This record gives sequence, structure tokens and C-alpha cells, in this order.
Amino acid sequence: MEVYFYLRLLLKRGENKRMRNSSKFQWLSSVIFLYLVNQAHGQKRGVPHDLKCITHNLKIWDCSWEASYRINHGTTYEVCIVNSSYSCIQTEKTHFEIPALSLADHEIKISSTHVSGNSVTKFILSERNVSLVPATLQILNLTADFSTSTLYLKWNDNGSAFPHHSNVIWEIIVLYKEDMEVATVATFNTTLMGKDSVHHWNWTSDIPLECTAHHVKIRYYIDELHFFGQKEWSEWIPLRISGSPIKESYEVFPRDKVVPVGSNMMFCCVVEETVLTAQYGSEKCSLIPLDNKSVGIKINNITISPSSGTNVVFTTRSNLYGTVVFAGYPPDIPKKLNCETRDLKEIICSWNPGRPTGLVGPRDTNYILYERFSGRNVTYKRDEEHMNENHQLIFQMISGQERYNFTLKASNPLGGSEAVILVDITQRVYPHTPSKLNVKGINSTAIFLEWHLSGNFANINLFCEIEINSAYSGQELRNITVKGLETSSYHVSVDKLIPYTMYTFRVRCSSEKFWKWSKWSNEKQYLTMEGIPSKGPDIWREWSADGKSVIIYWKPLPFNEANGKILSYDVSYGLEEETQYLSEIPDPHHKAEIKLDRNDYNDYIISVVAKNSVGSSPPSKITSLEIPNEDLKMEQVVGIGNGILFHWNYDLNMTCDYVIKWCNSTRSEPCLIDWKKFPANSTGALIEYDNFQSGTRYNFFLYGCKNQKYQLLRSIVGYTEELAPNVAPNFTVEDTSADSILVKWEDIPVEDLRGFLRGYLFYFEKGEKGTSKIQGLESETRRSDVKVKNITDITQKTLRIVDLQGKTGYHLLLQAYTDGGVGPGKAMYVVTKENSEGLIIAILIPVAVAIFVGVVTSILCYRKREWIKETFYPDIPNPENSKALQFHKSVCEGSSALKTLEMNPCTPNNVEVVETRSAAPKIEEDTEIKSPVAVVPEEGSDAEPENHVVVSYCPPIIEEEIANAGGEEAGGSSQVIYIDIQSMYQPQAKPEEELENNSVGGAGYKPQMHLPVTSTVENIIVADDLEKTAGYRPQANVNAWNLDSPDSPRSIDSNSEVVSFGSPCSINSRQFLIPPKDEESPKSSNGGWSFTNFFQNKPND
Amino acid sequence: MSQREGNEVDLQSHSSASSFPHLEAKIRQTHSLAKLLTSYAEQLLQEYVQHQGDPFGLPSFSPPELPVSGLNSPAPTHSGLPTLERLQLDAAALNSLSLLLDTICRLQADLNPFASRLLRRLEDASHQSRALGNAVEVVLEALGAAPGPPEPHPILPESPGVFLIKLLGYRVCGLYQEWVSCTEGDLSQLMREGLG
Repeated sequence: MEVYFYLRLLLKRGENKRMRNSSKFQWLSSVIFLYLVNQAHGQKRGVPHDLKCITHNLKIWDCSWEASYRINHGTTYEVCIVNSSYSCIQTEKTHFEIPALSLADHEIKISSTHVSGNSVTKFILSERNVSLVPATLQILNLTADFSTSTLYLKWNDNGSAFPHHSNVIWEIIVLYKEDMEVATVATFNTTLMGKDSVHHWNWTSDIPLECTAHHVKIRYYIDELHFFGQKEWSEWIPLRISGSPIKESYEVFPRDKVVPVGSNMMFCCVVEETVLTAQYGSEKCSLIPLDNKSVGIKINNITISPSSGTNVVFTTRSNLYGTVVFAGYPPDIPKKLNCETRDLKEIICSWNPGRPTGLVGPRDTNYILYERFSGRNVTYKRDEEHMNENHQLIFQMISGQERYNFTLKASNPLGGSEAVILVDITQRVYPHTPSKLNVKGINSTAIFLEWHLSGNFANINLFCEIEINSAYSGQELRNITVKGLETSSYHVSVDKLIPYTMYTFRVRCSSEKFWKWSKWSNEKQYLTMEGIPSKGPDIWREWSADGKSVIIYWKPLPFNEANGKILSYDVSYGLEEETQYLSEIPDPHHKAEIKLDRNDYNDYIISVVAKNSVGSSPPSKITSLEIPNEDLKMEQVVGIGNGILFHWNYDLNMTCDYVIKWCNSTRSEPCLIDWKKFPANSTGALIEYDNFQSGTRYNFFLYGCKNQKYQLLRSIVGYTEELAPNVAPNFTVEDTSADSILVKWEDIPVEDLRGFLRGYLFYFEKGEKGTSKIQGLESETRRSDVKVKNITDITQKTLRIVDLQGKTGYHLLLQAYTDGGVGPGKAMYVVTKENSEGLIIAILIPVAVAIFVGVVTSILCYRKREWIKETFYPDIPNPENSKALQFHKSVCEGSSALKTLEMNPCTPNNVEVVETRSAAPKIEEDTEIKSPVAVVPEEGSDAEPENHVVVSYCPPIIEEEIANAGGEEAGGSSQVIYIDIQSMYQPQAKPEEELENNSVGGAGYKPQMHLPVTSTVENIIVADDLEKTAGYRPQANVNAWNLDSPDSPRSIDSNSEVVSFGSPCSINSRQFLIPPKDEESPKSSNGGWSFTNFFQNKPND
Repeated sequence: MSQREGNEVDLQSHSSASSFPHLEAKIRQTHSLAKLLTSYAEQLLQEYVQHQGDPFGLPSFSPPELPVSGLNSPAPTHSGLPTLERLQLDAAALNSLSLLLDTICRLQADLNPFASRLLRRLEDASHQSRALGNAVEVVLEALGAAPGPPEPHPILPESPGVFLIKLLGYRVCGLYQEWVSCTEGDLSQLMREGLG
């Protein structure tokens, strides 16, 4: 017995340990060891031993013991519970059942009676020695849903068998594949409630259930707190899965499954053949063996499928197996659910389905609209053609019900969603578009408007908007409230219209409790009837220039005052006592002439009436005479771009109105472009006129009206916008001196001024002709050496420019300017007169220098006369230096020196001098003295490229005396003209153009010095001869020479002859051989007086 | 003499002199229709595979021929049969195909509701198949040959999986192409024999 308790203790400890997840191995070892000890002890004694008691429900204990086979055979037992009210139990078996005993120890006496004798064995039994082993469960159902790969288990916990509430631990294990791998182990707790309860458990497999065999087992453990015995797990209870997959036709699983996007899925193919490849859509997949007939593929994070699904295909050697998976989304919560009615007959609920599910056809989202108050619902019928638009359902309204509580339920194979809306349908009226719009006239200002609006609006008021459109008054909206009708015809009157006006009407409506406007109806046009012209025309009158007639003008009546088509005008005039009518003037004419004499001083009243088909307007009147105004001044005004603003002081005396009339200032009388009237209380007006032109001067006249008579108040000249003058002021040079110029200009015509003249700008600049930079430059960019005078006194017409340099060219430019800008300028070139003092200085200084040099030379020669005589003229010449003694030698050698001693008679030869055109001025300019024989071609004779001049000459004799004598002879036959220097520089105060013309024409001053001097022939001959000899060769590059005389005056005429300084000279002559290059030489000197004359007169000095 | 030559049809012997041109025109017209439908059938198959997803549209896709109850491909021995007998088979197959195409059209409407061109082609093909079958029957009647016994209505498996639906459609479109082409060849043969 001690062993038993020890065993029980160990068992309990072991159980506890196990419950605490202690080592199983340790426990089992202890049990086996103690069991063997006890077994040996019992057999040794030969009596019942190892009494064990278990209970399945805590109510009945089931006890059994061990007995040796020898003793047990034919043995009867009597089991008694000592000191108990229970009677003893007679049995031939080795177990008995007794009601559960109390927690205390109980002595159990087992008396065994057998052939060999009797024995009595006693056990001490208490609850602690009893084990609680749960009974077998009642499994109600284990089914497999192959479409979802889910197992559903349902069982009864047999709770009624236990007296107390107890915690129960359930453990379910799912095994799969042939080798019984554990697919999942699930443990969960429940509580026994003292009655039978049904429990459910389901599990969804990762792989389709059809792919391989699945096995399910369950066991449980009752943790009864009031039971102090040993508590044990029940045995594993194997479960049989009811239902079987359809494997006849399908080899690939799962079949046509709809899964959420992003799922992970296992597909398998169950076939006898060997699967070679597997493919998910276009993606090749690696095979996963499941068992010997099944392979699978695993797809992770499945993407959305096309409408026909994604194909999963397994390929064997001879066949192809497949399934389709549809990956999509559960339906979104319907967005923007809105319910409204258009006719109060049916309710239209519309919504946006939100994100596309990716599922179509039978898998598409199903919508049901459920109305909670009425319990009615409608199902959405899919319209494939409008899948992208909002969905809508129509719910027939229930009579008498205004509030509706709608629930829109959306569902597809992946889930569902819903949206709710509660509406008062009378506040959700969106009427149909009004139709059949019609207009009927009432009078010239009122019409009837009719339209059709389908629906039953008897219980509400309609709020309608009428759009009235006309070309004259623009768009106008009028809102009206009309009682809703069961019929659909509505009509309203529309008044306050303008007669004889084409109107366009259209209508839209909503409920009085505004929800939405209907769409606009179609437009309907209607021309209202004509009415009497409401006002007389706006009139004005102008006297003719001779005062013999007055012209009455009137303006066409504006559209809203004409009230119809104006057919004619009646014009009448007269004094108060009599009225005379002119003939009826048809409409296109808007003026009439009345023969009146202003000098009669009769003030006639002129009246004009406009007439249409309905009647005549009130007359418009004006008096023929004005109230004189002696105090009238001319004012100036400038506009603001598109008009001109006038202001005047408020005048109580002005009782009628103000009139501003205007005309172009250049027009002749009567001057009238237009007029405009303003009320008597006005103090200003903006005159805008489409035909106002910028830069045009207008005359404005402001009239005030006193007692129906007008008085001219102000006369104003103005521009809407000033522009710059478009012509230059015409100016001339009146006088020129050595240091000043007087210019005079004329006024610019008004039409060319284009603004009020504000002044003149006068520019002048020193410079050569043709080099002016004044013109073409803006005033801001003109050079600093350009001087400017701003003449702001517009009455000034002359200007004297002083402090100028003598004999200097000046560019002049005169511009007029207005506030609109500076106009074009007129340019002129003027040369100031020469300064005579400077000329005198220029002559005296060289003369003084020459005298000084001569005196110094003479003094030196006088003091050194001995040395000079000794050197150049000794008394006894040195034979070695005598050239006369070298005579023979020279003869033999034929030197040129010998020729000087030859006494050849001077035999005139004819030499044909052939000169090119470029060579001609060489002589001409160099000498300034022109031979009448050696005629050098001028520019005008271009036709002959070469000139053949026949010159008579003597061979040059290089002996000073002969040369001098020749020069004198030549000089005797020469004709020299001396030109008065003053005459060369007459003032040339003319415009540049004029100057140029004059210089060509040759009528006035010619700076060229065409002097027919025959003495120059000698020079020409000398120069020509020298060219033929081997002596002097003129340098070719004449440009490199400095020909300038630093202060030589220059001519304004480019054709003037000049004398060059610094020209190279021949070795035989001091005459300049190389003339200035051409007429454009910037420093060419005027040939009138130069030092050249001195040199020419002394060629061999 | 070959078997084909022995099966030649003498059109003149099968029609009166007055109706011969009419018969000739009818045969030519039917042949033209078959020729036209041959190209249409090819376009239909191309359109069909485009909407079934991979691997249907892949060039390497070649599934085993799915049996369609009541209709097979033209037998290899078809060309050896007498011309009129061949036309009788053609007419019967085309009439069956009309029903099949109609069924495929309905199934595809669930799978590809937005593939309007495919659905229209399938619907047209159903009508055209019936039209061609009737035209062939008219020719047969004109030639004095009774149309063949009506083919049993083709049976499709109940609630086939979507993949099987796709395969069936593919197969039916293929059969349609084969039979239209076969009919065109048979009519061409008839024209060569009788009109040439």
C-alpha cells in the first residue's frame, strides 16, 4: 500500500510536472520502476493488488485491481467499503464501480474466495488516488469545404456529465500527406457549463484539401478545481472527414478560386502522370512535391487578374491541366451615395463604386438597395456599357412616405460593404428639364410663358428661374414660385419688358426647398409688340456760317425709347404765337435745315418729334439763339487716352442741362461732330467718342441751359492724347559771323503739331560736313560735344548761337516737342566766317622768322667771309680740284658733267607728254599755276583716259644763271592771278544740300585755283625730264608722307586745290614733286596764299 | 482511276438546263462565303486567344484536342469520301458549330464582358456557320442529295471550370476554322468537278 501511495504521489507529481511541461522521460522512468517493484510484491503475496480507480465524470469511480492468473481463475470477490453505508459488492471480475466517495480515506476490503482458500486484502482509497480521465467525445460533424479548403468541426462537450463548471483544454491536430506531417495543432479553452454544449472549430488549409489526404484528431483535458485526484488528457479521438472532392474532371486545385490581391496561394495538380512544368500566367514556377500523385506550386503576393482570370497550367508529357484564379479586391464602401427624385414618383439612388474590384461577370460586385422603413429592396442590374460611370438604382416611391432610410449593400466573393443614407425626399427634388417652352404676347411689355415639366409635384411648390435675354438689356434672371401640379403644364406672366425687342427666354426649376436646379429648357425667342416712343430725340442746332439758316440735328432714339421702328420725324419751328411745320422727314435722315436769319434776333423754338407705327414721341425743343457770353476764354485740355474729362462748377442758374459739343479744329464751320447732354446738377463729364483720334486737335464747347436757352460757357481746345510733332520746324540761318550764327524758324501747322507745342530743342555741333552725329541719336545718347538749347518760349522764333570758332563748320538741328514727344528735326550745316586776326598772325610770324634767319646768315657770312673765300673761292685754285682740268677725261668718259660745258644751241623739241589721269593733278596741285599749254584734264573729262599734251621745251641746263634767266623769261610770259583771300571765304550760310549743289554748279565761290600761269611749264618740263633721267625717283607711297601744315585752314569744298607741306623734293629742285594725294586729304591747304608761292618763286634757292 | 475521280459529280445531270446557271451561281456563292468565313475563322481564333490570358496567346501553346461530344475534326479520310457525302458532313458540322459558338459566346460574356469585339465575332461566327451550313444544304438539295442526318447536339460538360471553358472555346474556334476550311475545299472540289 505504501508503494501504491508512493506510486500515486509520483504519478501526481509526474502529472503536474508534465502539465508544467517537465521532462516526460523522467516521469516514465519512475513509473516503470515502481510498477515492477509492486508487481513483484503482489505476486509474492498472491492476493489482489494494484487497486486503481479512475473516473470519467467525477460521479462514478471505476476501480480495478490486479490478481495473479492462478489465483484469479474461478475466484469470487467481495468488495466492501469499511464503515460505509454502501453494501458490499459480490463480483467475479477484478473491477467494480462505486459512487464517488468523499475526500477522506476509505478502507476497501476485498475478500477473495477461491478453491485454494480465502484471503482478504485491504486498500486505503481516497479521491486523491482516483484519476480523472475524460470520456470519449461525441463528434457531431467534421466536414470539408473543398472550395475554400476549410475543415469545419462540430462536437458536444458532454458538459452535463460534470457537476461543476470546469475549464476544458481542447487540442486538435491536423495531419496531411502520406507521411502524416503535422499541418496544424490548435489548442483552445472552453468551460463546461453543466450542460451539453456544441463547439465549433474550423481551419483553412494553405493548400487545397484535394491535393493530399488530411487527418484530424482531437483530445481534451478537464481541469476540475474541486477534484483532487489525478487529472489526465483523454485519448486522441480520430475524426473522419465527411465529403469528398470532385476529382473526376479536375486535376488542378483549387478550382476557379477568387482571392484577394496580395494573397499567397498553393496550387496542386493531382494526376497519375509526371508533371513536367507548371506555369502561373506567363510565369514559370518550380514544382513542390506533395505526394506521389500530387505536385504543387506556391504563388506569393498574387497580383490583380485580368477579367478572364489568371491561368494556372500544369503540363505533363501528353496533356495539359489547368485552373483559373481570380485575384481582386472586395468591394469598396459605396461612395457619394445620393438619393433624389426627379418627378416625386421614383427615387434614383446613385453612387460611386470606388476602387475597381478587378472582378467581372459572376464575380462582380452585387448591389442591393434596402429601404429600412418599408422593408423593400431593389437589386442592381449591371449595365456593362456604363461600368465607368456612377451606378444607380431606381426605387419606386411609396405613397405617403417622405422619409427613406436606404442601405446600399455591396458584396462580391471577397467580401462586402455598405453605405447608408437617410433622406427626406421632398427636399431632394431634381426636376426634369422643362420642355415645350412657349411664349404668348399680352402687350408691348408683357408676355405669357408656358412650359411642360413632367412629374407629380402636387405636394410641393416649385421654384423656377426665367432667363430673359435681349441684345439691348442683356441677361436678366427672374425667380418665381409656382404651385406644383399633378399635371405637367405650367404658365406664368412676365412683365416689364421693353417693347419691340427680341427676347430669348428659357426656364429651369427646382423645388422650393432647394436641392438642385433642373437643366435649362430650350430657348424660345419672341419679339415684343411695339409701343409709343417714350422720349423725343436728342436735338441740337447750329447756325450756318452766314447766319442765314439753322441746321437742326437729332440723334436716333435709343432702342429702349424708340419702342418700335421709327418711321419718320416731324420738325417744326416758330415763335410762341405761331408754329410752322416742315415736311415729314423719313427715319434715315437726322437733320434738317431751317431758313432763318440770325440777324433778325428772333428766337425761334425748334421742335422735333419721332414717330413709329403706334404713335409719336413727346417733342424735343431747342431755341434758335444762344445767350451771349462776353467773358469767354480759350482753354486747353488733354484727354485721358480714350476720352476727355471736363469739370465745371455747379451753377444754380443752369436749370435745363449742359451740352458739350465738339468738332475737329481743322474743319470748317459749322463745326459739329457730336454733342452730349448732361443733367443740370452735373459738374463734370467724360466725353468718350469712338472716333477720337490721338494727335488731333478738337474744339469743345460747353453750353449751359437757362430757361430752355443755351449759353456758351467755355471754349476748350484739346487732344484726347498728345503725340510728338510729325514734321520738323522749318528754320534758316539768317546771319553768320566768325563766332556766332543767327537762326530763324517758322511755326509748325496745327495739324502737324499733334499736341500743344511746349518748346524747341536746338542742337549744334562742330564738325566736318557729313560727319554729324546729331541726327539719329536720341537726346539722351547724344555726345557730350553736342550742345543743346531748350527753347521753352514757344513765341521765340530766332536764336543766336555765340562763342563759336571762326571758319569752322557746325551741324545744326532744330526739333519741336510737345508733351507727346519730340518731333523730327531739321538739320543744317554752317561754316562760320574766318577770324582776320589769326590770318595776320599767320603771315607775320613766318616773315619775321625768315628775316631773322637771313640776318643771322648774313652776319655769319660776313664774319666768316675769309674762310668762305678760302674754301669756295681761293685766289689760287687747286688744280686737283679744278673740273676744267678734267676736261679730257670727262670727254672720254662721256659724263654728264661734260654736257654742262656743251654749247649746243637750244633746239626746241617736241615732247609728247603722256599722262594718266592719276598723274594729272600731280602737276596741277603742286604748282597751283596752271599752264595754258599743258592742259591737264579735269574730272569732267573722264571719256579720255589719257591726255596727250604737246609741250615745247628746252633741255634742262643745270646752271643757275641760265635757269634763273629761263625762269625770268618764263615769268615774263606768265599770267598770274592773285586772289583776294577774303573773297575765298564768303559766308556760306546755306544748308548742306545747297552747299553741295553750289559747289558743283560753280556759280559762286570756287576754292580751286585754276591759274593759267605759263611759267610753270618749266617746272613741268624739269619734272618730266628728271623722271626720264636716272636722277630722282619719286617715292611710291605718298600716303606715308606727312603733307600737313598743322594750322592750314581747310576749305569746305573738297574740290579746292591744296598745297602740300613736307612733300619730298627733287635733288635738283626745291619744288614739291609729290602733290597731296587727292581731294579728300583732311589737311589740305587752301592754295590762296601758302608758303608754297615763296618756294615756287625760288626754285633753285 | 483514282477514288476522287470516281466520285465526281456531274452537275448537268443533277439539274435541268434552265436551273444549271442558278446552281452554278449558288455553288460559286457558297464557295465564296466559305472562303470568306475561312479568313474570318482565323481572325476569330486570334481574337479569342488574346482574351484568355497566357499561355493561350503564346505561340508555343498547343493543348491536346479536347473532345467535344458530337463533333470532331474532319477525319483524315474525309477527303476520300464522295463529294456529296463530304458536303453532307460539312453541313452537319457547321450546324453543330453554330450551337457551340453560341454557347462559347455566352460563356465568354461572363469571362470577358468588356471584350465586345470578341463577343461580336463569336456571335457573328455562330450566325455565319449556320448560314454556310444552310447554303451547303441548299446546294446538296439542288444536286438531289438529301442533307445528312442531323448531328446530335454537342454536349458540353456541366459546370465546367473556367479553364475548361477556355479550352473548350479554343477547341470550338479551332473546329470552326477546320470545318469552314474543309467546306471551302469541298466546294472548290465540287466546282472543279462539276463546272470545269
